[in-house]
Amino acid sequence: MTKQEIKCEQALRQIFEYVDHELGEAERATMERHLHTCHSCYSRAEFEARLKVKLGELKKDDPDATVRGRIKSLLDSF
Amino acid sequence: MGISHKAFEEQVLALLGSLNGVARRLMSIPADAEDLVAETVVRAWRARDSLENDAAFRAWIFRILHNTFVSELRRAGARPRLESLECDEAEEEEVQFSIFEQMHQPFLLWFSNPEQEFLDKLLREDLDRALATLPQHHRVVVILSDLEEFSYGEIAEALGIPVGTVRSRLARARGALQKILWQQARDYGLNAVPAALREADEGGTGAARQAMAEATGRKDKGTIR
Repeated sequence: MTKQEIKCEQALRQIFEYVDHELGEAERATMERHLHTCHSCYSRAEFEARLKVKLGELKKDDPDATVRGRIKSLLDSF
Repeated sequence: MGISHKAFEEQVLALLGSLNGVARRLMSIPADAEDLVAETVVRAWRARDSLENDAAFRAWIFRILHNTFVSELRRAGARPRLESLECDEAEEEEVQFSIFEQMHQPFLLWFSNPEQEFLDKLLREDLDRALATLPQHHRVVVILSDLEEFSYGEIAEALGIPVGTVRSRLARARGALQKILWQQARDYGLNAVPAALREADEGGTGAARQAMAEATGRKDKGTIR
């Protein structure tokens, strides 16, 4: 069976789904074949993935003690 | 059969950092964010019988948080764009802004990788400010996807919208965020925007390539501020 190929236009339409790991296995493989042969789309995917990582670094996991104490008391009252 | 008190408590405490972090980015005043989290936990406990399985707890409690946020805004007299009533069709026509497309121009590539340089120079504060500037309906999808690492399915569940809407809204939100970052870069000293682009942007008449060579030859660690 011939492997499906995509053009830049479709690759760019799916670029966020690719960096978000939301493409199915076959679509992801098709996208990766395109990215291996298209420098521009590869660079775009790399840019979007890096920006996503930078945004992810904004996340703070630890609420301050006041919030934790208040919610803990609340939970104890249920 | 609802979740047990012990399991509820464990899940809430495990997610408290995320709940509080998202609330802080939705509410401008920290005390309001704390109230939003507390109100969410109370509502979630009251509605615990509606949780179908413990594995869906995260999306379920974030849906309660988001609904509580929207109802608080309504009560305060604001008029948030309601997720279910949004006019996505009009926005669909917008051309999405892309920093990559602004910067990925053939003559610039002779000298460097400008879009990667732009990212290298972005500071946490730049991203914080840009995120805070986004409209709420865009901000929340970016937060859930990029900070909280929700899948599209979980975002759909948390916001009560179809997965297809998550996909399109996230694409538009990222375009809007990049536009803000780009404008910030221009407004705050421009160091993250390569000189050649600045010149072109400002209608300058000098040699763009020379400016680019000079810009990329510099060793200083400029920021976009």
